[in-house]
Amino acid sequence: MLSNIFSLSFLVSLLAGTIRLATPILIPALGQIYTQRAGILNLSVEGTMLMGAISGFTVACATGSLWLGLLTGIVVGMLFSLIMAWLSITVRANQVIAGIGLNILGAGFAAYLYRVIFGIRSLPAQIDSFQQINIPVLSDLPIIGQIFIQHNILVYLAFLLVPLTWFVIEKTTFGLKIKAVGEHPKAADSKGISVYRIRYSAVLIGGAYAGMGGAFMTIAYMNSFTESVIGGRGYISVAVVIFARFLPSRAMWGALLFGLASALQLRLQALGAAIPSQLLLMLPYLATIAALIFASKKAEFPSAYTLPYSRLER
Amino acid sequence: MESKLKSTVKEVLGTVIMLALALLVGAVLVVISGNSPMEAYSTMLRGAFGSAQKICELFVELIPILLMAFGISVAFRAQLWNIGATGQFTIGAIAAAAVALYIPVPSGIAIPLSMIAAVVAAAFWAALAGWLKNRFNANEVITTLMLNYIANCFLLYLVNGPMQDPETDLSQSALVPVGMMLTRLFGDYRLHSGIFIMLIVTVIMFFFWKTNFGYRINLIGQGEKVATYAGVNVKRTTVMTMMLSGALIGLAGWIQIFGIQYRILSGIAGSYGDIATIVALLGALNPYGIIAAGVFFAALRCGGNSMQRMTDVPFSVVDVIEGLIIIFVIAKTIVNNKTLGLRDKFRRKQGGKAHVE
Repeated sequence: MLSNIFSLSFLVSLLAGTIRLATPILIPALGQIYTQRAGILNLSVEGTMLMGAISGFTVACATGSLWLGLLTGIVVGMLFSLIMAWLSITVRANQVIAGIGLNILGAGFAAYLYRVIFGIRSLPAQIDSFQQINIPVLSDLPIIGQIFIQHNILVYLAFLLVPLTWFVIEKTTFGLKIKAVGEHPKAADSKGISVYRIRYSAVLIGGAYAGMGGAFMTIAYMNSFTESVIGGRGYISVAVVIFARFLPSRAMWGALLFGLASALQLRLQALGAAIPSQLLLMLPYLATIAALIFASKKAEFPSAYTLPYSRLER
Repeated sequence: MESKLKSTVKEVLGTVIMLALALLVGAVLVVISGNSPMEAYSTMLRGAFGSAQKICELFVELIPILLMAFGISVAFRAQLWNIGATGQFTIGAIAAAAVALYIPVPSGIAIPLSMIAAVVAAAFWAALAGWLKNRFNANEVITTLMLNYIANCFLLYLVNGPMQDPETDLSQSALVPVGMMLTRLFGDYRLHSGIFIMLIVTVIMFFFWKTNFGYRINLIGQGEKVATYAGVNVKRTTVMTMMLSGALIGLAGWIQIFGIQYRILSGIAGSYGDIATIVALLGALNPYGIIAAGVFFAALRCGGNSMQRMTDVPFSVVDVIEGLIIIFVIAKTIVNNKTLGLRDKFRRKQGGKAHVE
C-alpha cells in the first residue's frame, strides 16, 4: 500500500489528475477576480456553473459541436449572471441573499431543463467529450509528457487565461476602472467612470467564466450531465479568490491545491486505500476551510466589497 | 398606528403579488413540459389540502421547515449568513441516532439524552463557523457551506460503515428502539407528537426578540461598531448566536429521526436546508412572516410531490418557483424602498418650499 503511494506511476497520475481537476475551479475563480475586484461578492457561481453545464451539454448534444456547446455555456453564464448584476447593482439587494436565491433557481432550472429536454431515461445521455490532444514526441515524453501534455485543449486554455486575466486587471485602463469602482466608487464616479457600467461588465465577465467552467464539467471532464455535476466547485472557486487575495497567479496555485486534494481522493480510492472513500471525499472541502483560515486575515478586501453604490447617498 | 397597519397590508399584498408572479412563471414551465398548468396546480392544491391525511402531511413537512427557519432567522438577524442548516441538521440527526442505538438506557432517559446530544452537537457544528469568523476572519458563508459537505461525507461514511444496519446492504443505520419513537397523533397518519415541540418553540420565538439576548443579536446585525458602542461583546455574541441557530436546527434533526425516519440514512437532510433558508428570508426574519411562509412552502412541497406522482410535471418546477420567489421578493423590497425614499425626498422638498413661502 505505502510502496504504491510512493511509486512513480502513482505520482504521475496524481499530478496529471491535479491539473485536470484544478481546471473547473480555476476558470470560474479567474472570472470572480474581476467581479470581486469590482466590489461584488457573487455567491451564485454554483448556480451559474450548473446553467452553463446543462446548456453547453444540450447544445453539444444537439449540434455535435463541442465548441458551440462551450460558447453556449459562456453566453448562458453571462445571461444568468445578468440577474445577479441587476439585483446587486441596480436593485442594490443584499448580495448574499441574492446569491442564495440564484443558486436555488439555477439548480432547479438546470434540473428542469435536463428533464424536459432529455426526458426520463435509464441511462444518462452521453456525448463524445473533448479528447486529450496528443502532440507527437512531447506527449510521449516520460513523466513530463504524461503530467503536462496529455490534457484536452480546454485545460490549456484555462491556464492561458491566468496571464490574460493578470494583464487585463493590472495593465489596462479597464482593469484600473474595475479596481477603482471596487475601492472607491464615489471617487471613480467623480472621475467620470460609470460605476454601474463597470460593475455590470465585471459581473458579466465573471458569469462568462463560470458558464465556461460549468460547460467544462459536462463536455470536457465528464460526458454527461447530472444534478450534482458541479458539486460545490462554484463555492470553492469563490473561496479560492479570497484565498488568492484577488490575484490571478495565486488563484492558479489555489486551484491546483484543490485539484490536488480531489485527485488524491480519487487516486487513493482507486488504490483501494484503507481510508474509507467517504472520508477522503471531505478533503477538498477541508482544504477550503484550511485555506480560508490561512488567507482571510491577510486578505485585503476591496474597500467597497459587497457595498452597493448609489449617487444619492453620501 | 394606522399607517403601520397600512404599510404592513401593503407589504403583504406586494409579497402575494410576487408569489402569484412566480406561480405564473411556473405555469409557463409546466406548459413547456407538455402538461396542463390547470391540472398541475389543481393536483398540487389537492395534494396539499385535499384530505385530512394531506393536511397531516402538511404539518409533518412544516415541523422541520419552521424549526430550521427559526434557527436560520436567529443567525441572519445578526447578519451572520448561516448557510449550513443542512450540515447542522445532519450532525444533529447523527448524534440523536448514535445515542438511541448505542447507549443502553431506558427510553425515559434515552429520549432526553438523545435530544440534548442532537442539540449540542448541531450547536457546536454551527459555532465552529462563528469561531472561525472571529478568530481568522473566515467568511461564514463559505465555511458553513463547506461544513455541509463535510457533514454529508461523514454521514455517508457512517451509514456505509460503522453505523450501517447489519441486516441490509442499504446506506442506512438500524432502526431506533420502538420505545423512543414519537407517538403518532391520528392513527396511521404520520403526524407525530413532535408538533408540540414545534408549537412551543414557535411561542418562544415570539418572546425571544424582546429578551436581552434577542436584543443583542439585533444589535450585532446593525454592524460591529454599533454593537460595540452599545456594550455588546461582539465575538462572544457571534458564537452564541451561531450556537442558538444550530441548536434549533439540530432539534429539527432530532424530531425527524424519532418522528419520521426512525434511523439515519444517506441524504437525510433532503432539501430542508434550502427551503428553510427561503422561508426565513421570505418571512422577513420575523415569527409571523416565517409561519406564513412556512405554511406556504410546506404546501408547495406536499403539492409538488403529489403533482410529480399524478402528472408528468417534473418536481424541479417547484424548485424553480422557489428560486423565483426569492428573487422577486428581493426585487420587490427594493422597488418599494426606492419609491418610498423618493416620495420622502419629494415631501421634504415641498415642505421646505412651504416654509420659505
